[in-house]
Amino acid sequence: METLSFLLDGFMVALTPMNLVWVTIGGFLGTIIGMLPGLGPATGVAVLLPLTFSMGPTAALITMGGVYYGAMYGGSRASILINTPGDGAAVAATFDGYPMTLKGRAESALAVSAIASFIGGVFATICMVAIAIPVARFALKFGPAEYFMLFLFALSATASMTEGNRLRGFIATILGLMIATVGIDGQSGVSRFTMGILELQSGIDFLIVIIAVYALGEVFKSFKNIDTGNVNVQKKFGKIWLSKEEWKRSVWPILRSAPLGFFVGALPGAGGTMASLMSYNNEKQLSKHPEEFGEGAIEGLAAPESANNAASVGAMIPMLTLGIPGSGTTAVMMGALLLLGLQPGPMLFQQQPLIVWGLIASMFVGNIILAVMNIPLAGLLVRVLSVPPKILYPIVLGLAFVGAYAISYSVMDFYLLVLFGLLGYFMSKTKFPATPMILAVIVGNNMEQSFRRAYKISDGDIGIFFGSPICLILFSLTVVSIVYPLAKGLLKKKASAVA
Amino acid sequence: MSLSIIPSLLCFVLGLVYTTATVLLPDASVGRAYEPKIFPMMLGIALIILSLSLLLRELKNQSAGQDKEKVSLYKEAGFQKILMTCLFSVLYTLIFDKAGYVISTVFFLEMELILFNGKKNWKVNTAVAVLFSLFIYIVFSKLLGVYLPLTPGIWI
Repeated sequence: METLSFLLDGFMVALTPMNLVWVTIGGFLGTIIGMLPGLGPATGVAVLLPLTFSMGPTAALITMGGVYYGAMYGGSRASILINTPGDGAAVAATFDGYPMTLKGRAESALAVSAIASFIGGVFATICMVAIAIPVARFALKFGPAEYFMLFLFALSATASMTEGNRLRGFIATILGLMIATVGIDGQSGVSRFTMGILELQSGIDFLIVIIAVYALGEVFKSFKNIDTGNVNVQKKFGKIWLSKEEWKRSVWPILRSAPLGFFVGALPGAGGTMASLMSYNNEKQLSKHPEEFGEGAIEGLAAPESANNAASVGAMIPMLTLGIPGSGTTAVMMGALLLLGLQPGPMLFQQQPLIVWGLIASMFVGNIILAVMNIPLAGLLVRVLSVPPKILYPIVLGLAFVGAYAISYSVMDFYLLVLFGLLGYFMSKTKFPATPMILAVIVGNNMEQSFRRAYKISDGDIGIFFGSPICLILFSLTVVSIVYPLAKGLLKKKASAVA
Repeated sequence: MSLSIIPSLLCFVLGLVYTTATVLLPDASVGRAYEPKIFPMMLGIALIILSLSLLLRELKNQSAGQDKEKVSLYKEAGFQKILMTCLFSVLYTLIFDKAGYVISTVFFLEMELILFNGKKNWKVNTAVAVLFSLFIYIVFSKLLGVYLPLTPGIWI
């Protein structure tokens, strides 16, 4: 009951006319960014963040939520129509979405993608309403030692999820944590790793790193393919809706994939990419016509779209209740919260219930608005796809710089922006994943503070990190997250050697 | 040398430098003197160990002939454009405060649009650069209340 009354309050906030306008604007802008090849929700939120600087925290978060969902919708538009996913999570939408377009069924593809995203998103939001408060209450039991172990688990899980590049994932994590140690140490006043540069004393702003890696890094990558000519986008559509038969084929995949997506999304490090790929494979195995998958099977689009959106909501749970972002985009969202002076975690639910529940309610509202915007207005929105990326990428650069300036009002950050943009580019060239580094930059400071606080409480005895059942469970999970993929890899190798 | 070895080597060197810098950090005047060093020390050592294992693995792969990929970054398509973008960004940084947001951004975007869209389309490029700069300036400075450097001499 308590939850429902909170949610009702949240709806009162989300449904004020101004907030409705913001979520719509956010959704629209997010859709445009999301449609750009290579740019996904994380970039969308990162470059559009400065728009919210003068807003109150609730409006700012609601707008960013709109950008987040908008970018996801936009990403699947680009996947379906021109076969260029905005980010990893939209990749699965190309498998059957693009073949559907080639076969002249773009209308059904766009409709099922919007409907599946809507159902997945709403289902996950309902789950979130149900479990957010219990999780937050449980997290209140956490002391600094438990928090440190939780950070350790979240980071190691994220790093070991980077398929095929586990070692690189861990190195990226350490690099991120190192970036977070630059600046004056809050507890002792010692200036660390500033190399005598005055501007670095206040530390390296994680938002600069995020904008650099996600916006500049992606633009740098785009130079390689920028001259590959213009793509032809279908701009005229018939009625964007599903036939009865298509609906029948999609409904169960959508409903099955939503809980899967939500669960996977809520795990640290897993996120939308894994959720959508898992649900795709799942449906392929369950299907009576697996041979149709990849040739334009509507289930093959419905399932990952539902899972992807559900995962994006699931990823909000560890971020809001524990202060641990589960994916690149939620890391950026957490950056937005921190910038607004809000510390995500269990206390947020107690201290700022209106903001949290306003955000959760706006997920419902945002999903409805985006579904409405994306079905009848699809023809209009995809016109953005015909604006050449050659013009849009410089604009993304312009947005990145103005965003960086608005954070600190200092042009010194432009140098950092370029440096970290280059780092992001070289990391991707050499197959180092960026997401673990971004997560580490964001939680690094809190992680060290938890460690130091626990260390102080125990008077220098590291036994405190193994002293409570919660710590021990988290430690075991950390070990499992590292050992399990290793063991799996070894077994695979053995099996292939035997074969 | 194969491209795959360089990053692990760089990380290894970074680990050494970072750990040394940690040792050389001044002592804290409050609390335990070594406290600000513990966490960085763990990171430094972890990076040394991880990058060393990556380095060994890459070397092993290389000697096994699995990794013959040799890429010269500077020869790769678009790399020069990246360097040009960096150069324009530095110029942009230098003139940003003095010339004001609108003028410096028009210059920066014009340059970037030449890189992306070519010199031939200068009319479109200029229109995009000017419209974007003015639009952002008006939205941020006038509507959102985010301060952007004024351009001396003109009303914006």
